[in-house]
Amino acid sequence: MEFKKEVEILVPREKVWNFIWDVDRFIACVPGCKEAKTIEAGKKYSATMVEKVGPFKVEFPTSIDVLEREELTHIKAQASGADNKIGSRMKVDLDVNLREHADGKTMLGFVATVDILGKLAALGHGIIKRKADQVLDEFAQAVKKRLEGEG
Amino acid sequence: MLRRFRLEEPESVAEASELLARLGESAKVYAGGTELLLAMKEGLIQYERLINVKKLKGLSEVAALDGMIKIGALCTHHELEKSSLVQQKLPSLHKLEQNVANVRVRQSGTLGGNLCFAEPHADPGTLLMALGAKLVAEKSSGTREIAAEDFFVDAYETSLQADELLTEIRIPDPTDHSRSAYLKFGYLERPSVGVALAFNLNGGGLSEVKIAVGCAGPAPRRVPEAEALLNGKGREEAERNLAQAGAVAGKASQAITDLHGSQDYKEHIVGVLLKRAFQSAVS
Repeated sequence: MEFKKEVEILVPREKVWNFIWDVDRFIACVPGCKEAKTIEAGKKYSATMVEKVGPFKVEFPTSIDVLEREELTHIKAQASGADNKIGSRMKVDLDVNLREHADGKTMLGFVATVDILGKLAALGHGIIKRKADQVLDEFAQAVKKRLEGEG
Repeated sequence: MLRRFRLEEPESVAEASELLARLGESAKVYAGGTELLLAMKEGLIQYERLINVKKLKGLSEVAALDGMIKIGALCTHHELEKSSLVQQKLPSLHKLEQNVANVRVRQSGTLGGNLCFAEPHADPGTLLMALGAKLVAEKSSGTREIAAEDFFVDAYETSLQADELLTEIRIPDPTDHSRSAYLKFGYLERPSVGVALAFNLNGGGLSEVKIAVGCAGPAPRRVPEAEALLNGKGREEAERNLAQAGAVAGKASQAITDLHGSQDYKEHIVGVLLKRAFQSAVS
């Protein structure tokens, strides 16, 4: 499943870039993400992703690896985790792009390729896709709100 | 494998509601178990306790009372397909119940359980919306009615409160002018698309038109924009407007591309089924 999102944030690119690397503030914008830890700054992180569809709950202890980093412009990262209770795995390949617009605006774009494997797939591709889409939308809006709110 | 759980056996709805309030998310109401136990066996959900409501009295009857057909939430699909009252008064529901899932599911699965589990590909919710049904939610401190269109919130989510139980489904007693139909289409075990249509037909044409679509998206929903294209119209004009109403209903179905078909395909099928449902309802 591939998702593309783009959000215009009314703050300069440097500020958005610094925000992305501030794990605690950044994680607060990821719906269902808790217990984020820095294993190696700029390279490796861990977190727990908790998601819910009706009575179905999943908890993925997730490791996040930063694969590429181009100052102020691009980040490529991979997140993967497994919920052994349910017998499901998740993998997300994430490409984040920052473009500076005139008058101090930034376009934050990301492409996420999400793979869900295992029993969770029994819920149906459509339901999972919709949930993932919702999570990414909420994330984009939360980043915008937080950064713009901080002025 | 089904993990160990404790079975609670309350003797009244109030007692069941109190258990739900006390146990919170660690417990779930258990009726027919056709979907709940399957999900538990697969390990997709786990509950420490199941609250068995199957033995509760008075929730398995069908009766015509006060201008309503009242169906107890514990009626199984099989009981409803065998009910002469349902067959006589609500032929579209009767036909739907004859075709729910398979014979094993119909034997133990209950109408109430089907609605409460809110599986997106279930049939009954869609037709109940078109029939103007009200669902009765009870808890120890009181009872309320929820219109069928307000019951489904999202996939697997309803507007029932944590300590409420669905006890009865109330459908307005149809008149001689009432027409309704539910049609579904799919090539997998569960339907890809379900469309329900109900209206009154007399000399003046169509009135009280209700259209609902289900299975295509996360939850069934009424489509007032499509209803408006048929409401108050003569039969011929309504027939001419069906294609447009079908297109509107297709867009409103929130169809999701999945193994049951692409979004475009499902939207198209909604239109096809609406036309056929109309023909079926007037014939």
